[in-house]
Amino acid sequence: MTIRHHATDETLMRYAAGQLPAGPAMVVATHLAGCPVCRARVAGFEAVGGALLEVTEPVPMAPDAFAAALRVIDAEETAPAIAPLTAAPPSLARRRVPGMLPGGIPLPEPLRACEIGPWRWIGFGVRASAVKLPHDPSARLTLLRVGPGRKLPEHGHFGTEFTQVLVGSFIDGYGRYLPGDLSEMDSQVEHQPVVDPDGECICLAALEGGMRLTGFLGRLIQPFVRL
Amino acid sequence: MNALLDHARADGSAGLPLPRRGRVVTQLTEDNAMPDGGELARLILKIAAERDRQAFARLYQHFAPRVTAFLRKSGLPANTAEEIAQEAMLSVWRKASYFDPARAGAATWIFTIARNLRVDHLRRVRVATAAENAPPEEREVVPSSEAVLLATEQEARVRAALKALSDEQALVLRLSFFSDKAHSEIARELGLPLGTVKSRVRLALGRLRALLEGES
Repeated sequence: MTIRHHATDETLMRYAAGQLPAGPAMVVATHLAGCPVCRARVAGFEAVGGALLEVTEPVPMAPDAFAAALRVIDAEETAPAIAPLTAAPPSLARRRVPGMLPGGIPLPEPLRACEIGPWRWIGFGVRASAVKLPHDPSARLTLLRVGPGRKLPEHGHFGTEFTQVLVGSFIDGYGRYLPGDLSEMDSQVEHQPVVDPDGECICLAALEGGMRLTGFLGRLIQPFVRL
Repeated sequence: MNALLDHARADGSAGLPLPRRGRVVTQLTEDNAMPDGGELARLILKIAAERDRQAFARLYQHFAPRVTAFLRKSGLPANTAEEIAQEAMLSVWRKASYFDPARAGAATWIFTIARNLRVDHLRRVRVATAAENAPPEEREVVPSSEAVLLATEQEARVRAALKALSDEQALVLRLSFFSDKAHSEIARELGLPLGTVKSRVRLALGRLRALLEGES
């Protein structure tokens, strides 16, 4: 899979810094899972984090902090049955996702811990499914499934829209996006994606900030995407 | 740092009471010389291989106060920052065997641990690291000293590159790291056009990337 559309440096740096909101971070994680180029860049930005840590002026810890750390270590080593690492909460196992997208396509690894809602028809060839992150129900993340040849409403953004193509392809004024590609549309632009005619397109999308939807379909979608 | 030393002294300079027979006494050294990256990486490997508490003490002394400061800069209150730094250092002890010095230097690895704990703390989900949560393999082979050097040198190069940035470039880079604001917001706060902020970041990152990719 040759990836043509990558995350921007700003995005990768914010991801590496742990500063990207949960929704966009999940879209980026999905992109990274299939993109060694961006993974290498993230590793570079993590090294920037390491360098910033090294040059940070230290502040003293509480006087007994190190002794407290040693006590924890002692307790763990004398009672190894108490696992120091917390396991995933049981609620995760309860609602396991099927792990498949329509057409038998496996869900990308980072999405497998998420709760995927049912597809809901929102009109004009577009269906959507809400994606819930295990511990962050406030994160806004959506799977969009658009029929062949369909147009999404023309829209702009107050923030940035992150869209990772999982299945199929679409085209907008900025290029053609195939599986593995990430589209980042910032507040400066308006775009109107059109799905290629040879098959439906499934994308994972998240917004940072809000969306300005224009036109009839836009107003239809707006309540659904809760923006 | 001195607090640590004080503690050791208050304890009679003989280290800390330890429950088990035959354990080596853990002491904080008086040597305050800044350890270099290679030494820090070797300390982590020593923890992995021998559960060496002296190595842990040295790492703690160097990193715990820096991680605390770093987290405070990222906007956490002082006590939360210290709690998370403490948890990060305990993770260093527990997960030392996952440290791969060929992939990241010591500071970079500890940065990612602290970052993940902070993200967890802020939203109780490890989204930022979902891609890295592929099951890590317990390493069995001891990495060559060459491998240790490589990532460590990369860290040193990044550090040098950061110093070489202009003040404006360094500022926008730090803001990008320490705040959760998008560049459009950063631009608004600095009273700069978005294009200016973006180009400063681009220049800064371009320099860093040239350094990072110049050798591999």
